[in-house]
Amino acid sequence: MSAIQLSSVTKRFGDVVAVRELDLTVESGEIYGFLGPNGAGKSTTINMLLDFVRPTDGTVEVLGESVETAGAGLRERIGVLPEGFDVYSRLSGRKHIEFAIESKAVDDDDPDEILDRVGLTEAADRNAGGYSKGMRQRLALGMALVGEPELLILDEPSSGLDPNGAKEMRDIVEAEANRGATVFFSSHVLGQVEAVCDRVGILNDGELVTEDSIEGLRAASDSEATLILTVDDATDDDLDGVRALDGVSGAAVDGTTVTVACESDAKTEVISTLSGAGIEIQDIETESTSLEELFLSYTDAETVDETQNDTAGSTQPETADMEAGQ
Amino acid sequence: MSWLVVARKDFEDSIRSRWLIGLTAFFVFVISAAAYILRPQEGAEISTNFLLETAGNFVVGTLVPLIALVVAYNAVIGERESGSLKLLLSLPHSRADVVFGKVAGRSAALSTAIIVGFVLPAIILAVGPFTLDIGAYLGYTLLVALLASVYVAIAVGWSAAAPSQRIALGGAIGLYFLFVPFWESISFRVQLAIQELPEWVPLSSETVGTALFLGNPSSAYSWLTSAVFAGEFITGEAARLQLSAVLLLLFWLLAAPLAGLLLFERRDL
Repeated sequence: MSAIQLSSVTKRFGDVVAVRELDLTVESGEIYGFLGPNGAGKSTTINMLLDFVRPTDGTVEVLGESVETAGAGLRERIGVLPEGFDVYSRLSGRKHIEFAIESKAVDDDDPDEILDRVGLTEAADRNAGGYSKGMRQRLALGMALVGEPELLILDEPSSGLDPNGAKEMRDIVEAEANRGATVFFSSHVLGQVEAVCDRVGILNDGELVTEDSIEGLRAASDSEATLILTVDDATDDDLDGVRALDGVSGAAVDGTTVTVACESDAKTEVISTLSGAGIEIQDIETESTSLEELFLSYTDAETVDETQNDTAGSTQPETADMEAGQ
Repeated sequence: MSWLVVARKDFEDSIRSRWLIGLTAFFVFVISAAAYILRPQEGAEISTNFLLETAGNFVVGTLVPLIALVVAYNAVIGERESGSLKLLLSLPHSRADVVFGKVAGRSAALSTAIIVGFVLPAIILAVGPFTLDIGAYLGYTLLVALLASVYVAIAVGWSAAAPSQRIALGGAIGLYFLFVPFWESISFRVQLAIQELPEWVPLSSETVGTALFLGNPSSAYSWLTSAVFAGEFITGEAARLQLSAVLLLLFWLLAAPLAGLLLFERRDL
């Protein structure tokens, strides 16, 4: 049984398509990292898993049940850290955990143990209204952990956490996976998922642009290279021959600089094709692609990519960080 | 009983806020002030029924619905806009649990303020120059709590249906004016308009008039309180009609949140 199964799911908000024809499967027991820049549709997708938002089209199944018809009982088997939530400011941290225990009807869970796991023991009896963003995040994670859920759905769990807190978060994710839980979590920063995920999916503009294991992604990034060529003169049309080559994923020209993204072993062919088109090459530089750059190439407008016009306006990682911090 | 868990949390949350203590003090003040103003001449004695009927009906009848609407209009939409509703619905609660849990929790909190606020001064009144009609006093207090709960239910239903906090507030004010100051003149106009019903309508205009009168929770309430003070609650000649009035209040208590829930169910958070 799959833990999560989305079949050709589309969500429109008025004229805006937030998620487009999304097919996504998360197998039982895996840690799945759901990546993409802010505004890519990650939270909308997660909100559909929780029945906070209803899909315009398609079906959403969680733990083998249709979310639409399953009712609240399904959430007894799920732990959720939602995005954009607020705490009950007049209730203490401990009260929040106790409320989750009562709600999930799991009387044998010890609130102190959970508070300790998420590092809130000292603040447990303070009103949650005075908590910082990071503490609120820890509190909601604690509520999610109540009742040893089969599936954890965490939306941007590291937002508001310092590097230390983010590390603790990853440790908890791994511990939960070792217990047998499936973990599905979203992030706009590759570095946070790289270390723990079995598989990642990258969402951009409401569509899943790639899905692979971290090893698979790394292999792809190792074999990818960027050629930067200084030439006498070239037009965009001159590059058509290069684009048609096997192993070339994109090419662009800016004045006398031609940039080509290709597999490492396609480099010589790229150069000979350009020479054959009558372009005089004056200088050659090669850059290998890092995992982070590969991630950005799927989601960012500034990279050499044939789809750059479609993804224009997607969020830069710097601004994404700032938004997440709000 | 998931709604009960939601209700208990909402009640606890209310107890921790200042409005509950403030309102309790306010009710104690209202009863005490009325007692002071209406205090009998030396040697004479006045029944607490007179006190409640005179002061209570004016102050309580106009203010309790307003207080209930203010206390509850934000119950669902406020949580939806702040995001705490996401935390609530991440747990195994349905949207129905949330709406009915809120009605129960807020009503219980407001009823606590009313019962404590009314009963505390009664003990002092009994020692002073008032004769305490315990049955009527408690009966009246419970009716006030029921009235408050009905308006809480209406406000929570509206709060679940409203698309934004601002609209929820505006609507709550509108509902107050509809039910409290304007209802009588509206129903009077309706009655004038339908004085001569065509034959095929299986209702007499008196029936419609009675329905309009009892259909308003405030008038149903004030009519029931007069029966309580007369010592004829569900016993006198109008017993069946009184029962209808009670049932109509209970109908509001369930129908208003249910109507709000129907819209809330279809909303994206």
